Amino acid sequence: MSIRICNLPFNSSFAPQPRARVSSRSTRVFARTENDTQQQQLNLSVLRFTFGIPGLDESYLPRWLGYGFGSLLLLNHFSASAPINEPQLRSEALGISLAAFSIALPYIGKFLKGSVVEQRTLPEEGEQVFVISSNIGDSLKEDLAWATYVLLRNTSTIAVLISIQGELCVRGYWNCPDQMSKAQLHDWFKKKVDEIGLADVKETLYFPQYEGSSASWDILPDGTRSLFVQPLIQDIYEPQKMDGFLLVASTAGYAYSDKDRAWIGAMAEKFRG
Amino acid sequence: MEARIILQIQIPWNPNRQSSRRPSLHLPRSFIRASSSTSQKPRSYKGPKPSTNLVADFISSNDDLARSLPIYVGGASLLAVLFNRTVSGIAPVADASSSQSRADLLALGLAVTNLLTGLVWLSIRPKSITPVNPEGVDCKVVDSDLPVSIVSELLWAWESLKVATCCKSLVIVYNGICLIQIGMVAESPQDKKRVIVNTDKLMQGSVYRGVMKSKAQSYLANLSLYPGRSELAFLPANTQAVILQPLGDKGIAVIGGNTIRGFTSSDQAWISSIGEKLDATLGRYFIDSAEGSRENY
Repeated sequence: MSIRICNLPFNSSFAPQPRARVSSRSTRVFARTENDTQQQQLNLSVLRFTFGIPGLDESYLPRWLGYGFGSLLLLNHFSASAPINEPQLRSEALGISLAAFSIALPYIGKFLKGSVVEQRTLPEEGEQVFVISSNIGDSLKEDLAWATYVLLRNTSTIAVLISIQGELCVRGYWNCPDQMSKAQLHDWFKKKVDEIGLADVKETLYFPQYEGSSASWDILPDGTRSLFVQPLIQDIYEPQKMDGFLLVASTAGYAYSDKDRAWIGAMAEKFRG
Repeated sequence: MEARIILQIQIPWNPNRQSSRRPSLHLPRSFIRASSSTSQKPRSYKGPKPSTNLVADFISSNDDLARSLPIYVGGASLLAVLFNRTVSGIAPVADASSSQSRADLLALGLAVTNLLTGLVWLSIRPKSITPVNPEGVDCKVVDSDLPVSIVSELLWAWESLKVATCCKSLVIVYNGICLIQIGMVAESPQDKKRVIVNTDKLMQGSVYRGVMKSKAQSYLANLSLYPGRSELAFLPANTQAVILQPLGDKGIAVIGGNTIRGFTSSDQAWISSIGEKLDATLGRYFIDSAEGSRENY
């Protein structure tokens, strides 16, 4: 049994058109029995309301309405004449809690499946660096170069650092001093990484809402919002001995979904052992 | 191998900070300092530990409930407003004269907003498609002439695909040789063993030729609709989706999945990157071995 609320036509942009039946008033409800073998679901097609202004995110509409109506409610409350009777207090309490819930709705919507992921923004200042240790063999260098390139391309990463037994490969936008030679830069990164002690991390770390940190972490570029650290396990029989780690950072919040983290873990597996 | 936030919170949190709706990474005032006795051991990790976001975890695991939540909230408040009116004896008239009516109207407006948002969330729910278990035999066959490094790279590719996507079968053919046939494989009806990849038949077929000509990845999201299905007879009969990734111009990787439209665009990008890497590695090996055999003559 499926109920379909038909708004015709189903357009994503609300533009005034000669077929002016595109309005929320002309909704008709059809109830039909259908053999839905897989799942019983309500099949709803709802008009997606949009102002049509590019760059304006209508999914934040409940938040603006929450703020607007909430402030109107408060205005109403304080401008009401002397003793406010109880029913009004009740509806105002209801209204305020609804406003608070509406304000929180876009945030809740971000965690639903199928929600739009924020895009990364490249830092305005600073340049990309690409530093790779000279103490490693050519095939490993090639693998590292390819892995860092692919991570930067296929995820919303802007900065990646791979460390294998102390030897580093750093690529992307980093907050490092300019005018340093590649070898000096490599040593500088190594020192900073040792200060943080990232080689000691035993399990994956994911910070989806990173907001800046202590002095040693300032190598990360400004505007970093997500951070993910994946340790490279040397030997599955000795899980305490770490071989290195892989660090990716992005300027988008909640940038690494489960699937992204699975793929980054797969890339880290390449350097195991 | 799902990467989850595993570390427990070991730092005493300042409870006042938890009241904000946006859980941000609140840094502890004092880092955990673990002393390292010798200089050879890596310094212990001093830095923020990830916090668990209860809201995010709850919503991710109860997706349907969270989607219909605004509808229930909106509907319940609608009824509550009317109930309030009747209980307090005021006539349910929707005019903006008294401040009571104004408050009620604003609450009604918010309830309608919630209702509509809930309806929008329900309508954009991604359709969940159930995976179909492939019918066949599990096999792992790697060409015996390959060196260890190549074999480990091929096995790494298989492990990545198996873990990160819905892939259940992988066949790589390069230079006319089937290098690896791993995962679920169709069972031949005669001898109940795996179907061996007929590379000649594959390379003369339209599927292979099409992919080689376009030099681009081909994604068959619903294999049952595809007429060239018979050329991929080595895949289990009920494979749902297939990605054909050309490896340069000498080889092809056939990746079979167990869900219709199971490979996302992110998966496709990763698979094409892996394809390029495999092509570079295999190409170099085969050129070296060809030169090596030529030198012997």
